[in-house]
Amino acid sequence: MCEANVYLLRDGQEQLLMERVDRIIPGEDNTLFMENIFGERKVIKARFRELELVRHRIIVEEIPQPASVRPGELWLEPDTDHGHFHEGEEVRLKLFKGYNMQPQDASLEDVQAFLINSAGRRELQVLLDKGQYWLYPGQEVDGLIQVIVHQPGDPELYAKILVEIGHHHHHHIDPIGLPLEIVPSGYSHARIGEYYEVQLLRNGQPLAGVEIKATYASAGGQEYPRRQKSDDWGRAKFFLSARGHYLFSSTYDGIITTFTLVKGV
Amino acid sequence: MCKDMSPLELAIQFHGHICPGLLMGVRAAQLAMDQLSLERDRDEDLVAIVETDSCGVDALQAILGCTFGKGNLIFKDYGKAVYTVIDRSSGRALRIAQLRRASGGTAGQRYRELKGRTDLNQAEQEELEQALQDLFEEIMTCPYEELFNWKEVRVDLPPRAHIYNTLTCAGCGEGVMEPRAIKSGDRVLCQPCFEVQKGGNTDV
Repeated sequence: MCEANVYLLRDGQEQLLMERVDRIIPGEDNTLFMENIFGERKVIKARFRELELVRHRIIVEEIPQPASVRPGELWLEPDTDHGHFHEGEEVRLKLFKGYNMQPQDASLEDVQAFLINSAGRRELQVLLDKGQYWLYPGQEVDGLIQVIVHQPGDPELYAKILVEIGHHHHHHIDPIGLPLEIVPSGYSHARIGEYYEVQLLRNGQPLAGVEIKATYASAGGQEYPRRQKSDDWGRAKFFLSARGHYLFSSTYDGIITTFTLVKGV
Repeated sequence: MCKDMSPLELAIQFHGHICPGLLMGVRAAQLAMDQLSLERDRDEDLVAIVETDSCGVDALQAILGCTFGKGNLIFKDYGKAVYTVIDRSSGRALRIAQLRRASGGTAGQRYRELKGRTDLNQAEQEELEQALQDLFEEIMTCPYEELFNWKEVRVDLPPRAHIYNTLTCAGCGEGVMEPRAIKSGDRVLCQPCFEVQKGGNTDV
């Protein structure tokens, strides 16, 4: 017998991971590919702990993974999969705290929220209902509204969403002037299969050379799959290749800010 | 959806999922529309002859309006990613052949390899998703020349779809289109009933 059994060491206990293994290939990102004489294959994030060649035992230990969900971002999502609301329809927004579009339980009692529409600015209440935080801007007239949520602290958190009421409101939106703000370079109806450009602003001024990350609803928790550095004008362009909403996020000088792009398809 | 959908959105909605094959079909349909100055078909003014029954054909149906049910989608089972789009009003026809090298190179090969497996671990699932995103951008943004060969061709215009009489099958009592009915002695049968009568055993 030339093959070996592979054991996984976890919490001080050995567990049989695979029998009669005849091939192990270390891969990138701390992975071990293993194959046994029955043709079974496994890939595991682990490192070798001990090779007991006489006893045909290989012991590997799991490499702890960074938690895929880390607290640290606020973001907003519309309570519709339609891509926009209609005039007279109740606008309902969900507020989340977590990371990478992966919500975590968190208290949001100390957040402030406000809305900006064509009539100006008004404060919004954040309400907790059955474990979900909500904002209810109510019935809005045709046009674009911006909703912003702020949580003071370290880091200081901002979330912003642009919501279309009605149709065909494809025009530029003035930045609000937040300490750190992601804005669409020129708002138009964002479509899958097209490029979408955002701009990162620091107190209303372009912020160059800072990473802007993007993820989307269907990424399934994959760590921010799209990343760009802002150019001299604070801009970065992303190709929209996934269905559903996109979340853009950036961190600078103790502030984490997000912008939710609402998309119908 | 109360907004006009883009051609790509139409194709995704029709097909159900996003895949490289569908995106190739989207680009082929857009190429045909650009080259022949077409709008979406309403009543059989356009005809598409497709030489494959793979994902890309759904994009042609959704974007060009050449559909199976309308009779202006003609399928030739050659197993080739080749589409000929005909405009009856101008008499012009464009033959579009997907290039072999347009299947995404190494990224496309890896995508197909992972897509064909059912035992992906999380890292491989993420790799599959990433490969699809990369292929998506590549296919939708590269010049047509990197995806297709195309040329205008002369094609005999196929006849418009015909509406036939419906006969009643003596076996099952269901209606059957007259040219598809089979005369068996003095009885008129649909094809499945005819097969059963011959000794076959079929429910469809």
